[in-house]
Amino acid sequence: MSAVIDKARCNGCELCALYCPLDVIYMEDGVAVVRYPDECWYCGACRQECARDAVSFKFTPAMLGI
Amino acid sequence: MHLGGKTHRVKADVAIIGGGTAGLNTAMAAAECGASVLIVDKAHIQRSGAIAGGIDHFMAFMETGESWDTREAYLAYVGKVARGAANLRIHEKVLCDELPAAMARIEKMGISLRQEDGSYLRTQALGQPGPYSINFNGQRLKPAMALEVKRRKCRVLNRVQVTKLCLHEGEMAGFCGYDMRNGDFYEIQAKATVIATGNTNRMFKSQTGNPFNLWYCPANTGDLHRAAFDAGVELANVEYVRMTIVPKGFSAPGFNAFFGMGGKLVNGLGVPFMTDYHPQGDAAPRNVMVWAALTETKAGRGPIYVDVRHLSASDLAHLFSTLGIDKDTLPEFLMAKGYAREGAMIELTVSEPMQARPSEQCGSGIKIDEACASNVPGLFAAGDASDQMGCLHMCVAGGFYAGKQAAKYARARNRLLPLKAKELRQERLRVFAPMQRQNGLAPGEFENVVRIITTDHFGPIKNETSLKAGIAKLDALNSYRDELAAGDLHTLMRCHEAVNIHAVAKIVAETSLARTESRFSPYHHRSDFPESSDDWCGLVVARREGDNGVATRFETLLYDA
Ligand SMILES: Cc1cc2nc3c(=O)[nH]c(=O)nc-3n(C[C@H](O)[C@H](O)[C@H](O)COP(=O)(O)OP(=O)(O)OC[C@H]3O[C@@H](n4cnc5c(N)ncnc54)[C@H](O)[C@@H]3O)c2cc1C
Repeated sequence: MSAVIDKARCNGCELCALYCPLDVIYMEDGVAVVRYPDECWYCGACRQECARDAVSFKFTPAMLGI
Repeated sequence: MHLGGKTHRVKADVAIIGGGTAGLNTAMAAAECGASVLIVDKAHIQRSGAIAGGIDHFMAFMETGESWDTREAYLAYVGKVARGAANLRIHEKVLCDELPAAMARIEKMGISLRQEDGSYLRTQALGQPGPYSINFNGQRLKPAMALEVKRRKCRVLNRVQVTKLCLHEGEMAGFCGYDMRNGDFYEIQAKATVIATGNTNRMFKSQTGNPFNLWYCPANTGDLHRAAFDAGVELANVEYVRMTIVPKGFSAPGFNAFFGMGGKLVNGLGVPFMTDYHPQGDAAPRNVMVWAALTETKAGRGPIYVDVRHLSASDLAHLFSTLGIDKDTLPEFLMAKGYAREGAMIELTVSEPMQARPSEQCGSGIKIDEACASNVPGLFAAGDASDQMGCLHMCVAGGFYAGKQAAKYARARNRLLPLKAKELRQERLRVFAPMQRQNGLAPGEFENVVRIITTDHFGPIKNETSLKAGIAKLDALNSYRDELAAGDLHTLMRCHEAVNIHAVAKIVAETSLARTESRFSPYHHRSDFPESSDDWCGLVVARREGDNGVATRFETLLYDA
């Protein structure tokens, strides 16, 4: 798990896919998709760039559980 | 099956590999000197590298009249906390001479280093003799720097991973790489090249097992440490593996904020312990804090916590907001774990090791001289990728200085050197080879094996036997490099990263073997040579020997006191 993009809110501006430092976000059918969720660094750059508040973060059981 | 797309030939006076904190400042300087500048980054410079999501401390002496706040006092501090790793002559050039201009440049880009009332909020940690760390909101520093290089008309290639340096009769001629979004191949010719690609991450096991849950940027994988080493460039300070103390479950920064704001490290019995290890207690140098945390845990007194319950409400509010500036997602992680903003004992742990500087006041990587030049004419280095720079203050100040030096060199050289067609053809084949293989080895699997070896054999404590056995295992992995397979361009990038991490791991092990003492424990701790020795006050310098060998030599560093 990782950054999570709310498809309903995404307006397809592509900024998150353009800027993600780990290259994990791609555009699919006009919306941004986290294609490589296990490679997310949780840096929050995508959320900061998103004008539509479409990005949130989900922490894995390993992160919260240990 | 991908054999690569179109080929592009690009020329520049000064080309910079890695448009992170240092690289963008290098670009600004070179452009200011009148050079045509090209920046090549494997991500997008708007949000690439260490400070993609933000940053919150800038270290500086400010000549306020306090005895600790002078250039001399600062240099004395560097000589103490980075002894045997920092070259003070270089430090004066890359930091001290450039510092006031660096701070002014940040503010001119619209990022204030001050509080709302115009004052500086300065805190003390990391062995500092006074409060050198300026707290500021650097969440938009990276986008601001990206805008500034565009304003200065620098050209940028985003999403291009550089894979090889090209020399002509022993001098830098250029380099090549590929676009990970469309597979195009780039051949770049430059009069001067600056490497600013950060340190090497994903080299050791991480606390949750996910190699991307790291303190430092997982996109920095020693790509140019490996490429430079293969081209005959000398590396130094690479025997050190850096670690810090991070929240349990999430390897995020926060150390400077927690301890700068007065947080106390306590053990599982609730007892503060740092004064047992260092007279400065929780303001001790980072390596001492890590050593203490490891020792307490090993003695059965874990887990460790940072106690912030005694902080005032306003200090706690500041602490939580600054934690979120350095790592955007950290405050919500702490909340999700159940910690309250009103103050808590937050469980911490020692982070994954990485190839990086042993102190905030030096670097680890390409060995540079007083002009930021490597031993290969025309090749320079800046930022975390160099053996003498690290952290925000040095990357901004020293990055800029490196740009001036590279521009000066480019002006004097005055012509581009040729690239060899055969070498470029071979590199193109090597780069895209994993895309020709089916049912090959996944890069993640190869990387995992590297991490198990490094962690077992030198992560971090090591001795002659563990190092030699680790090197033999790393060598035995060599043949698997030719089995790596990628089904898409993103995975192709991960294949190259895996190979680079493996190559740098071997250099770390070989240089660790050469240094028969301990320094900055646990960053270089030899259980067979547990003491520091004045004979080793200096740099272990590594250079490629033959096809797979690492030759080392020693260079003494001198300090006044
Ligand atoms: C989360 C975090 C918080 C920090 N907080 C502080 C702080 O508060 N104060 C402080 O002083 N220091 C702090 N540091 C350290 C400081 O941010 C770094 O030392 C500094 O930013 C490093 O700059 P750099 O240019 O050397 O590397 P980076 O900024 O990481 O840039 C390296 C660049 O190289 C690119 N790259 C890598 N490989 C290739 C390749 N093969 N081809 C092309 N491009 C490539 C990357 O995409 C990246 O853009 C922090 C670090 C982190 C990770």
